[in-house]
Amino acid sequence: MSGGYNEIHPEPTTFWSTYIISFDHKVIAKQFLWYGIFFLGLGGIMALLIRWTLAYPGVPVPVLGSLLFSDSGGVVPPDTYSMLFTMHGTIMIFYAITPILIGAFGNYCIPLQIGARDMAFPMLNMLSFWFAFLSGLVLIISLCLPLGAAAGGWTSYPTLSTLIGSPGAGQTLWCVAIFLFGVSSTMGAVNYVTTVITLRAPGMGYFDMPLTIWGLWLTAILNAIFVPVLGAGVLLLILDRVMGTTFFLAGASATSGSGDPVLFQHVFWIFGHPEVYILILPAWGIVSDLLSFFSRKPAFGAKATALAMTSVSILSTLVYGHHMFTTQMSPLLTQSFMTLTMTISIPSAIFFANWLGTIWKGSIRFDSPMLFSLGVVFVFGLGGLTGLHLGTVTTDLYLHDTYFVVGHFHYTMAASVLLGGFAGIYFWFPKMFGKMMNETMAKIHFWGTMIPLNGIFFGMLMVGYGGMHRRIYNPFVYESLQRLIPINSMITTSAILMGAFQIVFVINFLWSLKNGAKAVSNPWNVGTLEWTIPSPPVHHNYDEIPVVKCGPHELGNPNLKNGRDFQYQTEELVEA
Amino acid sequence: MGFLNLNASVSWWDLAKPPLDISTNGHLIDGLWNYTTMLCIFYFILVCIGLFGFAFFYSQKRNKTPYYTYGNKKKHLLVTAVIGAAVFLSIDLNIARIANNDLLNQFWKWPDPKTEKVLRVEVMAQQWLWSFRYAGPDDQFGTADDVVTNNDLRVPTGTKILFHLTSKDVIHSFFVPNVRLKVDTIPGRITRVWWEVTTPGVYDIACAEMCGTHHYLMKAKLTVYSEEDFKRWVATSEKIALNTNDPSDANLAWGWKWEK
Amino acid sequence: MNRNQLQNNLAMTVTLIMGSMLFATLFLGYAVYRSSALMWPPLGIQKVSLVLPFLSTLVILASSWFMYQGRLKLENGNLTKAMVDVNLALALGSIFMIGQCYLWFYLKSTGIFLTTSGIFGSILYGFTWIHAFHMIFGILSLVYLRFAIKRNNSNILQTTVNVEKFWHFLGVVWIVMFLTIFVL
Repeated sequence: MSGGYNEIHPEPTTFWSTYIISFDHKVIAKQFLWYGIFFLGLGGIMALLIRWTLAYPGVPVPVLGSLLFSDSGGVVPPDTYSMLFTMHGTIMIFYAITPILIGAFGNYCIPLQIGARDMAFPMLNMLSFWFAFLSGLVLIISLCLPLGAAAGGWTSYPTLSTLIGSPGAGQTLWCVAIFLFGVSSTMGAVNYVTTVITLRAPGMGYFDMPLTIWGLWLTAILNAIFVPVLGAGVLLLILDRVMGTTFFLAGASATSGSGDPVLFQHVFWIFGHPEVYILILPAWGIVSDLLSFFSRKPAFGAKATALAMTSVSILSTLVYGHHMFTTQMSPLLTQSFMTLTMTISIPSAIFFANWLGTIWKGSIRFDSPMLFSLGVVFVFGLGGLTGLHLGTVTTDLYLHDTYFVVGHFHYTMAASVLLGGFAGIYFWFPKMFGKMMNETMAKIHFWGTMIPLNGIFFGMLMVGYGGMHRRIYNPFVYESLQRLIPINSMITTSAILMGAFQIVFVINFLWSLKNGAKAVSNPWNVGTLEWTIPSPPVHHNYDEIPVVKCGPHELGNPNLKNGRDFQYQTEELVEA
Repeated sequence: MGFLNLNASVSWWDLAKPPLDISTNGHLIDGLWNYTTMLCIFYFILVCIGLFGFAFFYSQKRNKTPYYTYGNKKKHLLVTAVIGAAVFLSIDLNIARIANNDLLNQFWKWPDPKTEKVLRVEVMAQQWLWSFRYAGPDDQFGTADDVVTNNDLRVPTGTKILFHLTSKDVIHSFFVPNVRLKVDTIPGRITRVWWEVTTPGVYDIACAEMCGTHHYLMKAKLTVYSEEDFKRWVATSEKIALNTNDPSDANLAWGWKWEK
Repeated sequence: MNRNQLQNNLAMTVTLIMGSMLFATLFLGYAVYRSSALMWPPLGIQKVSLVLPFLSTLVILASSWFMYQGRLKLENGNLTKAMVDVNLALALGSIFMIGQCYLWFYLKSTGIFLTTSGIFGSILYGFTWIHAFHMIFGILSLVYLRFAIKRNNSNILQTTVNVEKFWHFLGVVWIVMFLTIFVL
């Protein structure tokens, strides 16, 4: 493994080396972006099919139904329904959010914002994308199998995910795909960690990094530590399925038992809880930066925010047991996990104090990235607070595996991360492609996303409290749940609306790529390093490695005399 | 749009209320839920006041010059620390304490069949069926006189009911919305739960853990009898069981010896 | 330490942390199985004779030692002597792998089967497979190192240090595995 010395790599000449097997972090970032947006669409369509089934069970799906489910007259069959929610979860978490937030923004922002010419290991970076691609391919192939794709939920608890519960090859391919994706993620993690530590521009201390980089860096560290845990888990699951070992088999249906299905849950959530923060940390970082940029004042308590992110990362490794209260762990474990879970409130409250402190007495510009960032504060507030009900053991005994949980984790992981991701796309699009996106369409997209989104996920919280549990094909076989039909159809209507408004985004994205107004090098008037160079940047980013002299959020300084209200990180801090 | 044709007299808040609480301990969970929710609403309103209020008053139109501060002055740190501490002390510590008390005093206080009147039931879950086993006249499980029912659990009011549960194939979860409790049934190990019901009637039992294609059909009926009605039902069923239980029927032979 | 060395050391450290987490998860599983089992090894299964695993441990220790010697000689600029040591490490590594294959046949001959011996068999086979799978990468990187030394690549010392660390890591994992699943 040979590292880069931050030297200028020769510019690729052929189409193949420029766009396909590219070593350039900016191109790899765009590859991840396209990959993520493709899977976001696929996962979104699956979500709509799921929602349709829940609101109108037995009614043929309009438009898509006759194409996909002709055998059942356009109605989603129960076994397909299980595959749909399994694949929806898997795709959104591993193949949409991770590539966009970590793959695309990570690759794009880390070298540019710390003043480097590329990642520390460009080749590893390239391999990381192509492993992710291979993994996506395996997943898509599994969708086309005769017995169908994996159908045991994205958590794929044994023994349902062993041969006892899922005999088809779909579940095996799911494991293989996840393992490959883990390889890709850890390759990325090695690269991000090393790059941030070694390639920061001269003068840039850790607290001079934008908070985006803090988020991405902590994410990479969590990835490096915990993705291998999942790797070990799915490896054992593959052995169980293919070779006939009995790590997770038990009970009367297992021919030779004495394995332990609950062990997988432990392993899965040791990875799974940090994974939640792996997904949200980049969004937190982006939002913390953008709130400051568009309020035209420094980020409030930036150091405290960075440290709160760090402490959340550490705490996230200690609380995973709250996913397993209903499995009846030992009382001591249950109590410890509840108490530890509660401590996460403290850093979370500090985030909110600092976010609101940032916009307090600002001079706020409501450009689309800012709108989406404010949206994140709103939805993450709801998502974070509803987590309290689930971290408490007794209320969790009622709410576990109901739609309350679904609403909660969609607010935190889906809504916040999605809005944060959109904020990032609108913000960095000019730098990435050298064109501006259409602001009117962006604002329509924001309100068209934000309002239905709350209809969907708040509705989920309501039906969950009403007692509707998860992953059921037709909730209304339970007479007591039939009263929830109106709320369910409201959720579905909102989902269709929200889906429709994403078309505005796609049109805006594609249209702006071609016809957008040309972007200047610094359209948002902010001072972080990537805005000191032309949009889009040249192949080696910086002709000369910049020297950093001040922090990333130097806006609204009254002592500035040069007609700007911000200063670049390469400029000496102006003091009175 | 189906949701517009609502009966005007039933609001959505009423629709989304959890099902009738029929247990002696369900109110503990409902109470804690309400407490948590009240505080959550309080803090969320604070967030919204900050979010919308600041967004309104400090927009570019109304506030031309931003206040240049890093938010690292002593009073800023103090405010942040106070907010963090307030949230932790008012919500987290309280709900954790209440939950812990409820667990120790009620939910984990396992009734002892030796010292008090307890109805013991063994539960076997499989794809996609709930089976329930009562000990029968000899008070021993796994014997020929056991009363076994499928998807049909009948219990009396006024008696603590102690369940021991396991699963034959995959993980299921024994969920009775009306008593607010659920517990996973796990192949290869025995989990337990106890509750006591107060209101006779017929209710739903659901499987709450994804267990395969027909997970949604894995529901059972819970019939709550008054004590006299239950005695009558038990007497009849035991008689039927003695006459009809076939020891060679593998579907009936799943009982295990009750331990502790 | 120049930036290139720093990057390499960091990357290797992160990689080894990842590997440790993977094997730590396996050992966590082992601890759970072991502590919840009524008796170990389970009824009707005999403990595995320690002779073969012990020999494997000696082989892999010797291999690590030669790797270490090779790196020392390379630091002194003695490429030819380093080559001998790397070759020896590689040969011993391959012998270890042959020993592992023999171990699997031996387990089978003593009546420990993969599918019917329950969790005991699963652990013995599964864990050693996963370790062997990593050994393959270790051996491949040693082969690569051989050629790199032969061609006297510019970065040869750094490459050797990286390969050496990975090779020692595999040895340590094997020793932990030997102590836990065979000796205990």
